[in-house]
Amino acid sequence: MFDFGIVTNWIHTQLTSLMPEALAIFIECVIIGVCLLLLYVVIAIIMIYMERKVCAAFQCRLGPVRVGPWGSIQVICDVFKMLTKEIITVRHSDKFLYNLAPYLVIIASVTAFACIPISRGMEILDFNVGVLFFMAASSIGIIGILLAGWSSNNKFSLIGAMRSGAQMISYELSVGLSILTIVVLTDTMQFSEIVMRQADGWFIFKGHIPAVIAFIIYLIAGNAEVNRGPFDLPEAESELTAGYHTEYSGMHFGLFYVAEFVNLFIISSIAATIFLGGWMPLHIPGLDGFNAVMDAIPGFIWFFAKAFFIVWLLMWIKWTFPRLRIDQILTLEWKYLVPIGLVNLLLMVIVVVFKLHF
Amino acid sequence: MGYFKGIFQALGSLLTGLKVTFKEFFTKKITEQYPENRAVLKMNDRFCGELTMPHDEDGNNRCIACGLCQMACPNGSIRITSETVQDPQTGKSRKRLVKYEYDLGSCMFCHLCVNACPHDAIRFSTNFEHAVFTRSKLVKTLNK
Amino acid sequence: MEKDLKNRLAALDAVWSEEGDGLYKVPSSSLRKTAEFLRNEAGFDFLRSLTGMDWGEEGLGCVYHLENTATGENVVIASADKDRENASLPSVHDLWKGANLNEREAYDFFGIKFIGHPDLRRLFLRDDWKGYPMRKDYDPATNPLNMENEPQEEDSISYEMTPSGDYILKRHPLFEEDEYVINIGPQHPATHGVLRFRVSLEGETIKKIDPHCGYIHRGIEKLCETSTYPQTLGFTDRLDYLGAMQNRHALCMCIEKALGLEVSERIQYIRTIMDELQRIDSHLLFIACLCQDMGALEVFFLGFRDREKVLDILEQTTGGRLIQTYNTIGGVQADIHPEFVRKVKEFIVYMRSKINEYHEIFTWNVIARKRLIGTGVLSREDAISFGATGGTGRASGWACDVRKRHPYAMYGKVDFKEITFTEGDCFARYMVRIKEIEESLKIIEQLIDNIPEGEYQMKVKPLIKLPEGRWYSAVEGSRGEFGVFIESHGDKYPYRVKFRSTGLPLVSCVDTIARNAKIADLIAIGGTLDYVIPDIDR
Repeated sequence: MFDFGIVTNWIHTQLTSLMPEALAIFIECVIIGVCLLLLYVVIAIIMIYMERKVCAAFQCRLGPVRVGPWGSIQVICDVFKMLTKEIITVRHSDKFLYNLAPYLVIIASVTAFACIPISRGMEILDFNVGVLFFMAASSIGIIGILLAGWSSNNKFSLIGAMRSGAQMISYELSVGLSILTIVVLTDTMQFSEIVMRQADGWFIFKGHIPAVIAFIIYLIAGNAEVNRGPFDLPEAESELTAGYHTEYSGMHFGLFYVAEFVNLFIISSIAATIFLGGWMPLHIPGLDGFNAVMDAIPGFIWFFAKAFFIVWLLMWIKWTFPRLRIDQILTLEWKYLVPIGLVNLLLMVIVVVFKLHF
Repeated sequence: MGYFKGIFQALGSLLTGLKVTFKEFFTKKITEQYPENRAVLKMNDRFCGELTMPHDEDGNNRCIACGLCQMACPNGSIRITSETVQDPQTGKSRKRLVKYEYDLGSCMFCHLCVNACPHDAIRFSTNFEHAVFTRSKLVKTLNK
Repeated sequence: MEKDLKNRLAALDAVWSEEGDGLYKVPSSSLRKTAEFLRNEAGFDFLRSLTGMDWGEEGLGCVYHLENTATGENVVIASADKDRENASLPSVHDLWKGANLNEREAYDFFGIKFIGHPDLRRLFLRDDWKGYPMRKDYDPATNPLNMENEPQEEDSISYEMTPSGDYILKRHPLFEEDEYVINIGPQHPATHGVLRFRVSLEGETIKKIDPHCGYIHRGIEKLCETSTYPQTLGFTDRLDYLGAMQNRHALCMCIEKALGLEVSERIQYIRTIMDELQRIDSHLLFIACLCQDMGALEVFFLGFRDREKVLDILEQTTGGRLIQTYNTIGGVQADIHPEFVRKVKEFIVYMRSKINEYHEIFTWNVIARKRLIGTGVLSREDAISFGATGGTGRASGWACDVRKRHPYAMYGKVDFKEITFTEGDCFARYMVRIKEIEESLKIIEQLIDNIPEGEYQMKVKPLIKLPEGRWYSAVEGSRGEFGVFIESHGDKYPYRVKFRSTGLPLVSCVDTIARNAKIADLIAIGGTLDYVIPDIDR
């Protein structure tokens, strides 16, 4: 498997040979920042296009077909449309918070995005408490959504924000518990290490029963945390028109929109990383020829394939089920997911202590 | 025990739903590609798009300007201008149609004019592409 | 029994009037007593229709169509107040809950003050409207086009009468100062049109709902008064646009009844089949929209996909998809298309195979069940009292199907089951509709092979004049009893046409059944009640 670290190290040595190390690191940070944002935008565009095509296919229709081949340029055109639209400020709104909110959401999303290990040596933020950092960074988004609803001076927005507050804070717990289950199995909180430990088998296979349960809980809770159907109450279209972002227009709305889609990708890629082996290829013990072929496929392709598979899974779920009601969402979390998650954590501890895993 | 039974039943029902959408994902789509399929698009012959007055090869219509359609119309969408001319052979005076104006914009396709016409001079055509930029363009003169 | 009723009513100064269907004329002074007698002693618990009237010299008044749901007996009473300036009638809102909005409508259009009515605001028109437009002496020039914002009435108004005959106007605030009131509608994705609910919330819980109607009121009943009978037909398609066939059927039936015209068996067959196709169309749209409101967009497209098949069949014969213009006085516009029978048979097979898909994706879905079962319960008594007919009434256990109660067209001769449930909740309302699709298919199946030969249009005089009198006929529309009341004074124009809205009773019961529910429940309740706004606003 190709180690991307060789490239980054080479660039680093080249730069330090030309200039002082502080300046070199500064330039590297800028380059990485730009790359990160570019990747973020590209992912967002791919996600929106994918959402449209996939949901169309589920709904017996074609989706965008007119702009570009198979409608591929449609989303880019939409981005330009969004950029040209006026950003409307609502009267009697809290101007500062109203303008701040979308940036909080996008900052949280970008920071969490930076934690994802895409390929070997291709991690941006990678340190020994990576999981904790990821959880902390992604939860900043809730504040943005709450502020958006509060400052809009709109009753629908406020109800939407309150719903999302209750929902996202609750479901964070289940996301944490299911990640913790895997942390128990790996005894590390560093994402790159978590991936490395899966070289001889993905955790969903190694951890068998408790890992599968954790995976399902993670999918449900992760879906709820990014406010996607059937948990899309904060923006429940048929109830609250658009929920917390009712009053936003132009690129401010665009930021919410993009953040929502990339958050979905982040949730999926974390699932791929901790349960499906991240960029590790699929190996079947005993089939050496097959394994060699799998190894030839670059790591980032493995990673994106897994992540987008889970994205597709979540879209499938979203476009099939009706929306839950607020009290049912909380019932599901506190009466089902949390207790099951806790018991599952215990089960995983027993599995690890008695070495019952593979 | 009911707790776990409930969970499995719920999961079962959700999976059944997922099965339906999964099948749908691979079935043929039903989208009509409208402007592209214009050449092959076939309207039902009874579809009422707009009122027309058929003309034969010589450009004659069958309207005798009796005004029954104008009277039957609930919205006043039809306006007939007629003149009285003398038949050169018999010397009798009769009405002749000068202008048959039809306002598509206020027509509600109730068929009363077509039903009232004693000579089948007017009928509905299947043309459905009516979009124009001003309302005045919707007022059409049907006779040639 | 009937004799007995006649005597009892005669004792209350009611006078039998023979014209048309016949009715009892009750002086306004004894209206309240008569109504109480009919409701409490004679068991007339269902107010089918309440029609405001302007009888010129005889004054302003109302016609009440009543039915005893236990025995199926019908009685019509009318009452008028000669004083045109200050016309007043006692309110009957406490006897029949459905009278609440109907009396507001009569007040709105005729200016009849209903003494004792708790909330006598205008229902359809703007609060600053001058005069009462359905009166015969109304001058349209008094209300030029008004582009100002509408001032909103914050109080409900009631009138009381002192023994000396003076009115006391009382105001009651609709909402308290500190209530959290949000507008659901008129522009809202889930109100299926321009209906507006002002909803008072406590957290997510609904405390009170105040419905506002009239955003697309077109004055169709007034328009009918200046249209010839064939011209009135065109308006019916635009009332409940998902029941175009049935609405028009009702009006044609009413006019044919007044003319004493018997239509051929072929016409009856065609009309029945068309009505049922329209019902399937409407119910499919109901399922589609309910699921969309609840967030299951997939089913929305499934519903529309299948509905397209019905529309294609209808379009082939009638030439229209939404606005069918098919029934005419004494017949139908055109004979069925040569391919009609084959296509309908194909559709029956197709539809039967698809119903299971709806069950799999929605009916059995745990989320859908959790959200629908037990929410928005409408009791049987309330359903009758509000006059909430159709699927809503049947879900509450009230066998209110007009096709069974007063069979018309071919319904007396075909075999079908009236679907009733007893729960009265959203899920029952949903199930009634999906089961009725199957029943409709059954009805069509029995008829489609046996359409007799015959004419599709009876001979009718070119100028249609109805004799003097009053007639009421009703059909089972897609969402309840759709009735037409015509009063004719022998002219070529009707003197008064009233369409019994199927949706107005449904809207009037929203406040009762949605209290203490969540916002999400209101959406489910609105979706399952299945009202269509142009039908409410007329």
